[in-house]
Amino acid sequence: MIFTDKASFRRVSLLELDGEALSALSEEMKLSLSEQDMLAVQAYFRETGREPTDVELEVIAQTWSEHCKHRIFSSEITHETAQGKEKVDGLFKTFIKQPSEVIFERKPGFVLSAFHDNAGFIKLDEQYAICLKVETHNHPSALEPYAGANTGIGGVVRDILGAGRGARPVANIDVFCFGAPNTPQPDIRGEDVIHPLGIMRGVVRGVRDYGNRMGIPTTGGAIQFDAAYIYNPLVYCGTAGVIRIADIDKAMSSGLKIVALGGRTGKDGLKGATFSSAALDSDSHEEDQTAVQIGNPIEEKKVADCILAARDEGLITFVTDCGAGGFSSAAGEMLSEVGGEIFLERCPLKEPGLESWQVFISESQERMVVAVDPARVERLQELAMIYGTEATVIGHSDGTGILRVWHHGELVCELDNNRLHNPPRQIRSSRWMPAAPDSSRVWDDEDLATSLSRLLGDFNICSRAPVIREYDHEVQGNTLLKPLAGARGDAPQDGSVIGIDGSEKAMAIALSLLPEWGKYDPYRMGKACVDECIRQLVLTGGDPDKAAILDNFCVGNPDDADELGALVETCRGISEAALAYGAPFVSGKDSFYNYFETEDGPVSIPVTCLISGMAVVEDRNRVTGSTLRRADSIICLLGEGSGLMGGSVYARHCGVVTAEVPDIDCMAALARYRKLALARDSGWILSAHDLGEGGLAVALAEMGFGMKAGIEIDVDQVDAPAMATAAQRLFEETAGRILLEVAADDLENLRACFAGHSFKVIGKAAADHENLVVRDAAQSCLIDVSLSSLKQVWKNAIGAYY
Amino acid sequence: MVTKPHALLLKFPGTNCDAESARALEAAGFTTQILPASQLGPDSLEQVDLLMLSGGFSYGDYVMAGRLAQLRVEERLGLALNGFVEEGGFVLGVCNGFQILTKLGLLPAGSLIDNSSGRFICRWTELHVENCDSPPLVYLPGTFELPIAHAEGRFVAPDGMVQEYFDNGLVTLTYGDDVNGSERQIAGIQNQAGNVFGLMPHPERFLYRQHHYDPDWLAPDQSQWGWGYHFFRGIRDHVVGEAVVESLEESAL
Repeated sequence: MIFTDKASFRRVSLLELDGEALSALSEEMKLSLSEQDMLAVQAYFRETGREPTDVELEVIAQTWSEHCKHRIFSSEITHETAQGKEKVDGLFKTFIKQPSEVIFERKPGFVLSAFHDNAGFIKLDEQYAICLKVETHNHPSALEPYAGANTGIGGVVRDILGAGRGARPVANIDVFCFGAPNTPQPDIRGEDVIHPLGIMRGVVRGVRDYGNRMGIPTTGGAIQFDAAYIYNPLVYCGTAGVIRIADIDKAMSSGLKIVALGGRTGKDGLKGATFSSAALDSDSHEEDQTAVQIGNPIEEKKVADCILAARDEGLITFVTDCGAGGFSSAAGEMLSEVGGEIFLERCPLKEPGLESWQVFISESQERMVVAVDPARVERLQELAMIYGTEATVIGHSDGTGILRVWHHGELVCELDNNRLHNPPRQIRSSRWMPAAPDSSRVWDDEDLATSLSRLLGDFNICSRAPVIREYDHEVQGNTLLKPLAGARGDAPQDGSVIGIDGSEKAMAIALSLLPEWGKYDPYRMGKACVDECIRQLVLTGGDPDKAAILDNFCVGNPDDADELGALVETCRGISEAALAYGAPFVSGKDSFYNYFETEDGPVSIPVTCLISGMAVVEDRNRVTGSTLRRADSIICLLGEGSGLMGGSVYARHCGVVTAEVPDIDCMAALARYRKLALARDSGWILSAHDLGEGGLAVALAEMGFGMKAGIEIDVDQVDAPAMATAAQRLFEETAGRILLEVAADDLENLRACFAGHSFKVIGKAAADHENLVVRDAAQSCLIDVSLSSLKQVWKNAIGAYY
Repeated sequence: MVTKPHALLLKFPGTNCDAESARALEAAGFTTQILPASQLGPDSLEQVDLLMLSGGFSYGDYVMAGRLAQLRVEERLGLALNGFVEEGGFVLGVCNGFQILTKLGLLPAGSLIDNSSGRFICRWTELHVENCDSPPLVYLPGTFELPIAHAEGRFVAPDGMVQEYFDNGLVTLTYGDDVNGSERQIAGIQNQAGNVFGLMPHPERFLYRQHHYDPDWLAPDQSQWGWGYHFFRGIRDHVVGEAVVESLEESAL
């Protein structure tokens, strides 16, 4: 086995440097620390009365990095809108934490852990809790798509293994944002930028090879295409987990052994935390390759088997994963209050010649750190041997409150953890002053059938089957609602439902992102994202009052007041909606500097907010799919339209960027969803499908893709403003709406159930043809087209490129 | 009280269908033990009625799927495995387990190579029973469905052997359509004695009715079970012998 043979560190002279020289030092050491940060570091060491070691500076750099500390989300922001200026005392505190805490109080005993652990837990039943965590791995995926996505999955799975005293991963979700796969090469204005098709193929295969090998079903996801993502593709990786409630609480104490479990430490993945906190440029493609690694899913599978077995034997007092910052952040998390010692010479290595700081902050994959009672260490090592991995004691907790790192007898790092974890607060300013929307356009459409077909072939709407089929979505044998279903197993689904071993209940998982909306109205985008996620959770089988959500933001340049302003507005939107739905945030993450200096100037992504969520499904028999099941059923629409076309795929096809984005009344929507849950639990709902991108017409077609029946509707029965044209009724994307399939015999029950809510019978399934037929009140036929031809367009759009 | 038959499930680093396989076997009336490969020894097969190699990616399958697991089994079990088979013990390999059994030479000569599409494929497929006397298939209809999930499931045999396999009842299952390029759409095979069975589809993933992709699917007997349950029930009845079957059925009630 390989270990270091000597300590290798140096003292860095900074006590006497001025601000400029400190900045230069940060630059030279690639610390990504600002002058203000460096001055704070200098003040700390002046007080301590000595120069720092390089190890200490590297530890501070990664601890204070945006990636680890979310400094922009805690910064003080002066936000300017048409209404004037307001002060936001931290986005996280104001818009995420505070509304969630209100809901925690309103629903005692529901959220069992939030914000402080690797993932947030909600109560499933008396014995079990469920959790969800989503991370981004954008910069690595831009440089090396396969490996970047691969290690993205690996990292978030370790988050779940390190949540509580070890949760069991039960499902993965993956959300990608790419440039269009048919982007012409000359349109890519940067050297060494990988073509979107190459990014997509690499990322999908990276996810496939890690998730499939780990034996975790990939049950949900989304892909967004927009030219803004050519230079900065986004890769969100999420994992859901299950734990016994008794295994959630973990607390450090003095006298525990600190054990490194899993893979060995190498030079791979150095400085990933600081790397991911800066913008990409062409140089990144050359310089930062060391920050990206190739994952080893089998090593992680062995670690997972070992952790879960150790947890079941009660061996684990505390566990966390080695993510960004490696041992330094894992040990920092464990020892930040209790204090303790780490001995770097004990860490098993992949290769010789590592310097002290490299051992301590390397982000080599597939490593966990566990705190164990000294008497149980031997058994943990035995389990590691049984499952084919390694457990090595590298230190202990000691109650001093100080983290000391030794290397061959030399003290290479000694930091007061209380102060190490408090970087200076940033002060920022933001602005949101959009042009007033233009409502003068008349939405005429002479050929609605062709428009529908074009929408179904849009990259943002078409079937993801070629991608989904590469993921094992059924391993573990608990996938009750699959990503593709219907009578032929190839129709779309609004979310997924995972059965939980040992419980009668199940877990619904859903997600939403609407970056196109955010370009014009980020506040309404935020509300609609929360709505769509909750709506999907409820219609697939979840309890509307037992849902929790996650916020994951990707943003361009936060130093640009308008881009930061869009983020502030988004946060305000999701915050209001979360409070209205009573769905607390239990975890979240952010990724900044997703912009790129092209030959024609900087290109930023639109503010991209992924809301993902989980909900308790009380009964496995209440799981509801999205495709028509009968040829004699009635089709109803729940929720009202607004006629507003802003943000819609249809508007994009028409080249309109000035239309108003629709708003949603969340309280009214929640009341409808509660009624829907009642109707579903009474057995009155055969299938349910949400209206999303492409609006009503696309949703109807998708509902028919199970090919059990034709569909006939009267577009004038749709609840929308009287002046709305057929095109508006068919293609607007106003949130809060759901298509329902019900048996004729249950219709009166449903009418009573939804009394006082927007609930309209708009049509029926048809046994005598396989077409989608849309008429108006005058009985003129607006669309009459075969579902199988629409399905061909929908199924084949991406196949040509993937 | 009738003693239940016992199933041993081998778990290699990267095996990942062991838990749901054990669940299915227990539902069908087995007691089960999941044994990490590091604990495997020549006496591991004592008191075992069914040895199951479940799906996953043993050792990552970075060399040909199942190759390293084969070497590990040969090293740890040696002749004990051959003895187990000769004495009539039942061996089942699903997906990666099928690949391992093929490498171990316990099944008719052949290999499972990359799917003709070159891709991993996860979907449900129709299956046709080619040998209705094969123990796992005795309770299944001539045509039924199971999910598949594999990258290396294309069965190829030495020149001219496939017809012989069909003629001798060694081909047990074929796909309803060409999912992966297998010769004559072979999905499952067994040895001459009928006590070593390998298949690519996953019976453990269709234990309950709710596992089916179509919410309206219902077995002809209108029970809660999916076809996978009947697959494992067939193995159970084979290993316990007819005399015990009835009393087992009773104790289940």
